[in-house]
Amino acid sequence: MKLVLLFALFTTSCAVVPQNRRGKMADPMMQIADDPLEVYRKQKFYTTREGAAGGDGAAAGGGCGCQ
Amino acid sequence: MAVTAFTIAMIAAPAHAQTLSDEEILGRPRPYFRLESMRMRVSTFEQEGRGYQSQAGPTLGPGSERMTVLQPQIEAVFKQGERLTHCVWLPIDVVTAASPDAIDRTPASADVVSNSSRQNVGGAIDWTTTYKADKKTDLFVRDGFHLEENFRSWNGGMGVTRSFADDNATVSASFNAYFDWFDRFDIGGHRHGRTSRSTSNGNLGFSQLLSTTTIARLDYGLTVQSGELGNTWNSVPLAIGDRGPEIMPDRRVRQAISGRIVQGLPWNGSIRASYRFYTDSWGIDAHTVEATLMQRLTPWAYVRGVYRVHTQDSAAFFTTLAANGATLRTSDSDLDRFVAQTWGAHAAIDVPDPRLKTIHFDVGYERYFRSNGLTVNMFTWSTGFRF
Repeated sequence: MKLVLLFALFTTSCAVVPQNRRGKMADPMMQIADDPLEVYRKQKFYTTREGAAGGDGAAAGGGCGCQ
Repeated sequence: MAVTAFTIAMIAAPAHAQTLSDEEILGRPRPYFRLESMRMRVSTFEQEGRGYQSQAGPTLGPGSERMTVLQPQIEAVFKQGERLTHCVWLPIDVVTAASPDAIDRTPASADVVSNSSRQNVGGAIDWTTTYKADKKTDLFVRDGFHLEENFRSWNGGMGVTRSFADDNATVSASFNAYFDWFDRFDIGGHRHGRTSRSTSNGNLGFSQLLSTTTIARLDYGLTVQSGELGNTWNSVPLAIGDRGPEIMPDRRVRQAISGRIVQGLPWNGSIRASYRFYTDSWGIDAHTVEATLMQRLTPWAYVRGVYRVHTQDSAAFFTTLAANGATLRTSDSDLDRFVAQTWGAHAAIDVPDPRLKTIHFDVGYERYFRSNGLTVNMFTWSTGFRF
């Protein structure tokens, strides 16, 4: 229920930002995620060291000696 | 009369032009296959620590988890016409680890983890093709294969991303499936055929522009795993004074929800913050908070500082000294209760080049340390070209 309320608040409390006012969003510092190779580096590092990592699109876990 | 007809034609022509598509005006685009960008990243980890699953130590005490990893990876993005984009990604891991090394030293051991102890080289290839169905909808499919000495893994997935409200909001959904097939070793290093596990994963995501300098995202993931969920050669200290094999459940259901926000700062910087909650059927609940502060130094250079804290409960069957008859048991320090922290600093430059769109360099250092004794120093650097 809390999740639904949070989602509703999230989706209804924002104004539309016109295309011509999104220049700042093109800056690499404004990206919501790191570049894909940096994401993989972090994902691989944490999924092989933390039992609670993964579960959100990460692979099942490598077979290497790092498991 | 001629003037009237000309006037009517002039008035009517623009109205007619508005109904023409880009293709009708400019002609059908010629097919092409073009390299859009290329990026390479090299990372290296030096790990120190002790865990009860490792046999590189006293029989009933924690053993060494020392490890060195070298991880180069390369990614190339190709554009095939106006609608298709291909992303090919090739990561390689070179691992030297103390824990399997200790098994290799046992007298009966012939090959153990196929020499993964001394040096294990693993590689993968992942190909993602994205099809732009229309201006608001992207569909993608991905396939991948992971190969190392005693381990094979296949994966595939598909997903969709659709934007709304003049691209202010984006909704995405994806489904992935993995199948791992690997050798089963006992804790003495003897091989007992092969075993497998499978993983199915579904994800939902929603991102929203909140202002000209704020963007937020919510993600939810559900993962179901079944089969052999351990590496088969982790050991557990037993109350009878010896070591026995890890015994894991053959099913695990994992859920994670995360929220992220990026806020531009007035002094030419930005802050990115995220929170993630995780829970699974093994009894592990976890909370992770991460913050990244970025500051632009020049039009082409910026730095960022990272701090992450992660806290998790132990798996319900985690123990450092198991009863011999325990039906489920693990001593893997990664499934223990701990608090882990990471801090790091990175610097990046994007050099404009008259022949290329951008040349990118970055370098970073991170230190990971956690309350049950594991410490890792990481160095990473990358080079990228956008054509």
